Order: sequence, then C-alpha cells, then structure tokens
Amino acid sequence: MSTLTDRYVAATLRAVPTQRRTEIADELRASIEDMIDGRIDGGEDRGAAEREVLTELGNPEQLAARYTDRRLQLIGPRYYLVWWRLLRLLLSFIPAIAGAAAGAVKATVDGDLGAGIGTGITTAFEVAVQLAFWVTVVFAVLERTNTPLNLPEWSVDQLPEAPKERQVTLVDTCASIAFLGCAIAFFAWQHFQPWVSGDGSRLPMIDPALWGSWLPVLLAVLVASIGLEIAKYRARRWTWPLVAVKTVLDLAFAVPLAWLLLTDRLLNPELVQRFEWLREGGAQDVARVTVVCTAVIVVWGFIDGAVKVRRHAA
Amino acid sequence: MASEEILRTHLQELRRGTVVVASLLALRRPDYGYALLQRLTAHGFPVDANTLYPLLRRLEEQGLLTSEWNTEESRPRKFYRTSDEGEGVLSRLLDDLAAIQTSVTGLIQGVDR
Repeated sequence: MSTLTDRYVAATLRAVPTQRRTEIADELRASIEDMIDGRIDGGEDRGAAEREVLTELGNPEQLAARYTDRRLQLIGPRYYLVWWRLLRLLLSFIPAIAGAAAGAVKATVDGDLGAGIGTGITTAFEVAVQLAFWVTVVFAVLERTNTPLNLPEWSVDQLPEAPKERQVTLVDTCASIAFLGCAIAFFAWQHFQPWVSGDGSRLPMIDPALWGSWLPVLLAVLVASIGLEIAKYRARRWTWPLVAVKTVLDLAFAVPLAWLLLTDRLLNPELVQRFEWLREGGAQDVARVTVVCTAVIVVWGFIDGAVKVRRHAA
Repeated sequence: MASEEILRTHLQELRRGTVVVASLLALRRPDYGYALLQRLTAHGFPVDANTLYPLLRRLEEQGLLTSEWNTEESRPRKFYRTSDEGEGVLSRLLDDLAAIQTSVTGLIQGVDR
C-alpha cells in the first residue's frame, strides 16, 4: 500500500511537465522525509508527523504551480482591464443587433409578432453567452502563453469628460418615452386587434365614435408629453415652467378621460353589452377606480416635479 | 490599532523579497532544502516550506544558485550553493536593503512625532 507521502508526491507531479518530474520527485521526497524526521526528533510518532508535514506543504496542485511558475488565475491583472473593456463593448451592441435581426426575420417570415420577440430575446441571450465565453477563452490563452498585446500605453488624453451633473437621466427619459409610446400604441392596438373574436367580429375596447372627437385630442396630449420629456432632458433638471406644462398636459389627458369614463362614453357600448358584469354596474366601478388612480398619478406627478425644482434651488 | 489581518498582510508584503536575500546569503555555505529552512528560521526568517522549495528551484533556473546531489549520506539530498552570478545579484540586493534602511532612518529623524 502506498504511503501518504507517495500519494502526495504523485499528486504534485501530475501537474508538473514530464521532463522535470524525476528530479522534483526525488528532491520533494527527500525534503518531506527530512521534515518528518525533524518532527520525530521532536517526540512525535511517525504517522502524526507525516500528516502534519503534508498538511503544512498544502494543496499539491498549488505546490506544483509554484514549482512550475504556473498561474492560478484565469485572467490576471495584465489582461483584466483590456478583457473587461472589450467584453463590455461587444456586449453593448452585438447581442442587441443579432436579437433584433433574428426577431425581425422570424416576425416577418412567420407573420407572428410574439414568436418574433421570443426568438429575438433567445438569440440575444445566446449570442451574449457565446461572446462572453469565447472572449474569455482567448484572454485565458493569452494569459497562459504570455503573449504581449502591444497596446498603446495609457495617456491622459484618454480621460473621458467628467459627467455633468444632471437631475434628469437618459435612462429616466427613455423609460418615460417608451411608456408614452406604449400608451399611444395601445390606442391603435385596441382598435385594430379584435378583442372578442368568438364570432369573428372585432370589438374595440374604446368607443370607435370617439375617433371623431376626443381620441385625437388624447393622442395629441401623449405626443406633446413625449416632447416635454425631451425638453426636460435637454434642460437637465426640473424647472417651474416644465412643472407647469407637465401639469397642464396631465390634466388635459386626465380630465377628458375621467369625464368620458364617468359619463359612460369611453368604453365601446357593444363591448359593455357583451359582458354581463360590465353591463350591471361593473363599468361604473372600473370608471371610479380609474378616475381615483388617475387623480393620484396627476397629483403625485405635480408634487414630484415641484419637490425636485425646490431641491435644486436649495 | 489595525486589525491582525491587515497587519499580517503588510508584514507578509514586507518580508516577501527578503527571503531571496536571506537564501542567497545563507547558501554561500552549501545546504539542502530542509536544513536551509531551519537555518533561516533560527536566524529570524520564518519561511513556509511550500514557498522555499519552489523558490530554490526558480533561483537555480535563473542561474543564481548551483546544485549538486549528495549521495554520501543516508538519503540523497540536493545541495544548493550561491553562484557567482548569485553573488552579484546578492550584493546589489544588499546595497538596496541598506539604502532602504538609510532612507527609513532619515524619514524617522526628519518627521516629528
């Protein structure tokens, strides 16, 4: 049966290039025996001494790495920053482009928007994983082969502009515009997509008669709100005029909406007839809840803007 | 007072380079791994075995140490000795160590506490 020392030496040698094995093995074995003898002279029994010595020497793979000067890291400090910058750069646009392309192809070929979006997301995710994997593999190989990259030295000219202080961030603005865009899209969608298709008839949720009167007004208010978001981004922060315009726009949307709801003129009468709970007072409940929520949103929007103006002035 | 952990890291950093100096110095008299380890420890240079043994090999590969197998005793041992090249490097390292000591002394005297 092999001793612990035999097993330890064998485990160390496994990670050492063949041509150096014999010499390292002889020297390591002699050193271990010397250390064990040293402990036996100190009064320990052989078994315990052997265990302690090997524990002191530690993980054999780590010892082997020290013998061969091998790196115990995937990507070290020499390449890390380059790797990270390249990875961020590639991930910032390639998955999005690939996903959008694959999604667009799927959506147009199959004529199915939902399947297109699904394919787009899956493709983007797969491309992102593949990118991260292969870029990392290449850098791990560079790390191991010690390849010089010959990149230009860092210089002060590479310093980016210090970010200007802005209260309204690009992310906030994009999110708001996306939300408004969805709202506009909803008005069109609810009209052209059949709501109840059981008998093949199309039933818009909103009374189609309103297209001749109030709906264009509401859509115009939403478009104006997008303009307000852009103006706010360019102004960098909330100002009193912006708060005033926002409040007027909010009211211009909320008041007609509330009035139409409360007078039973918003929802498509045919739709209300189709559903019993809407017919028997449900529509009024929906109207009241919606009006209260809308009022809260308008008031909160005003307070939020006003607080931010004051905070900046302070 | 900084935590034990922080102190230990700084001491380790400070000691790291001195192991090479101590080994090159001690190996003016040829010795094998374990005996060198004990000599260094006795002279106030505690070194881990798993650091010293690979270090000796690396210094040999760099030409700063020469080695010879001694098969006269009960078990064959590899004896290392500081080479001429190693002596050259050692004297530069010792000069630098002395320069550091001088600089530190200068700083200590120049700064009021």
